[in-house]
Amino acid sequence: MKLPLQWPAWLRSERISRLSAKLAGRLPPMPNLDRLPIPEGVRKAMPIFVRTTTFKLALLYSTMIAVFSGALLAYLYYSTVYYIRVESERRITVEFEQLANAYYTGGMQRLSQAVFERMTLSGSPFYYYLEDTAGQKIAGHFPRLPDDPPESGMKTVYFDFELPQTDGSKVLRPAAGRIVRLRDNGGALMVAFDTAQQTVIVDRIQSAILVAAPVALILSLFGGVLITRGAARRAEELAKTAEAVIGGELSRRVPMRGTGDEFDRLAQRINAMLDQIGKLVEASQNTGNAIAHDLRSPLTRLRNRLEIALSAPMSERDANATLGETVEEVDRVLDTFNAILRLARLDAGTEGLRVRMDLSEVAEELAELFDPACEEAGLAFRSQIARNQLVLGDRELIGQAISNLIDNAIKYTPEGGSIAVSVTRGPEAMVDLTVTDTGPGIPEFERPKVVERFHRLDSARTQPGSGLGLSLVQSVADLHGGELILADGSGPKDLPGLKATLRLPRA
Amino acid sequence: MADTLHHRCLKVLVIEDDTEMANFIEKVLEDAGHDVECAHDGTAGLARARASEFDALVVDRMLPEKDGLTLIREFRDAGGTTPALFLSALGDVQNKVQGLKAGAEDYLGKPFVPAELAARVEALGRRQAGEPQVTTLKAGDLEMNLLTRKVTRGGKRIDLQPREFRLLEYLMRHAGQVVTRTMLLEKVWDYNFDPQTNVIDVHVSRLRAKIDKDFPEPLLQTVRGAGYRLQG
Repeated sequence: MKLPLQWPAWLRSERISRLSAKLAGRLPPMPNLDRLPIPEGVRKAMPIFVRTTTFKLALLYSTMIAVFSGALLAYLYYSTVYYIRVESERRITVEFEQLANAYYTGGMQRLSQAVFERMTLSGSPFYYYLEDTAGQKIAGHFPRLPDDPPESGMKTVYFDFELPQTDGSKVLRPAAGRIVRLRDNGGALMVAFDTAQQTVIVDRIQSAILVAAPVALILSLFGGVLITRGAARRAEELAKTAEAVIGGELSRRVPMRGTGDEFDRLAQRINAMLDQIGKLVEASQNTGNAIAHDLRSPLTRLRNRLEIALSAPMSERDANATLGETVEEVDRVLDTFNAILRLARLDAGTEGLRVRMDLSEVAEELAELFDPACEEAGLAFRSQIARNQLVLGDRELIGQAISNLIDNAIKYTPEGGSIAVSVTRGPEAMVDLTVTDTGPGIPEFERPKVVERFHRLDSARTQPGSGLGLSLVQSVADLHGGELILADGSGPKDLPGLKATLRLPRA
Repeated sequence: MADTLHHRCLKVLVIEDDTEMANFIEKVLEDAGHDVECAHDGTAGLARARASEFDALVVDRMLPEKDGLTLIREFRDAGGTTPALFLSALGDVQNKVQGLKAGAEDYLGKPFVPAELAARVEALGRRQAGEPQVTTLKAGDLEMNLLTRKVTRGGKRIDLQPREFRLLEYLMRHAGQVVTRTMLLEKVWDYNFDPQTNVIDVHVSRLRAKIDKDFPEPLLQTVRGAGYRLQG
């Protein structure tokens, strides 16, 4: 039985050659599965992921794991087996040194004695044999040398011997020994040991590795497939969602796993993008509706008026008057059109600066702007504006929103009433801008509808205005991350008045 | 077109690639009594602007060859001082700021009210470089001393609130020209939205009460369909 000191045949295989090929940069190319003559039916049955980058990744991953496992196992094998061998050699060397000592100090006599002593020691792993120049056995476990002693130096021999048992029977054991020719004498000494134990150990290691290697290979393939399948599935989800959205299902979103990993983050960003797309689509749809709804009537009116003017003979003065009215109507249409565009841009979120600005200042300026108009309308105007209330937003948009609120208040409050504008600290890091009037207010069930485009309370249909006022305020509130709150004022039940609050986050 | 009598006939260059729009603008301005020339792309426009002395430029933002922003920038870099007004379908505040930064003096979004355009072009025409720093504004027998903040008409002292003073100052600086409500909201109150109701009207009528009521000749006139004009 030889102690194996080289790679066993099964290691010297294509794995090694593949490794070296890789190192040399000559890895054979990944088989192009599309070119393989796979019948259509089989190809269709192959799961989609086999044809993808994820499969190649899985294969690469598996290969790497397999290679590393292989290298690890090889190292393990080599170092344990090597250790066993080295250890045995060391012990034999020690033994020989001790015996050599005995020989040099006391000659053959002493050596024989030492050998006898060692033979009687129980638990010693070594077997001895000593003979004289004539080849006559002096002492030892064996009847004779298994081989001729060398002329010089040590000779290693492997042989089998019969080990007598306590019950009288004999067992055949493998052994390895070292024979040395004694100097000045011609005798020979052999120290041997039972290699059965070692062989058992080495065999055990070998078979363990033999089992572990293919298991590692299978597991690595499995692992590669599992991991990349997870990725493949996420990629597939993304693709499916995108397809659905393209097909028109704008409300579809990529499902999130809640793992917080890159795929979830990607899904989050894609969902945010889809939200934005949804907003834009809604904005443009609203614009379409708005144009249909609110521009058609005045344009139709215009057309009718002009048609009448064409058909009936008119005095020049009347004609001029008609044309003048027409121009005014067209101007109103243009105004409405601008307002619609404005709202569309607000909805799309593409308009609006975010700077630290003083809401109190804006409120004061607008209060001052509207005060005379209030008076003209026979309304009392009060303002209570806390100083230095800063918000993060767009002065123009907020100004327009406040202007709309005050304008509405003036429009709907009957003569003799009052309007109050206040700026106060709101709850939780917000600032409240409130416009309160003593008009009819807005009934609770109407409040959600009233901020929609073009809605106007039935009672107000006869009043001029494009009905976009409150919806602009809502859009501005949304854009700034705030809210529009509609509530009753402090008037009596039949004339409660409206308390409109624009609540914005503090800067 | 509403009546827009005024002193000055301005030489205006309109740079607009949409021929129908260009013709329309030309007509609006010619009706207002100005001389109008047209160019239809950025390169030609820049060349014309540099070749002749115009009183005002009306520039569309989206032009072939060279866009409006670049045109104005290059014009200013070359030393051109003609005041310019941008016309653009991109009417939001960010684009407006961009346009003003490029070197234009005013910015009007499309669609626009023709009277607004005419009024703003005339306001531009006033803004020639080299206008000396005045300390007193005059319109008829109305006098405003910018240093002492005193306003008198026919020698009689008129007391004005700060806002009324600013309003009158703007009207006087543009005496003889039509000034729209949008322009007033913009220049006197510094807000860019369209004023609703008659919010500006009331301020103007209060001012009118102070400067016109006790005097023989009304200086502050309402121009129907456009805005106001202070007789110059």
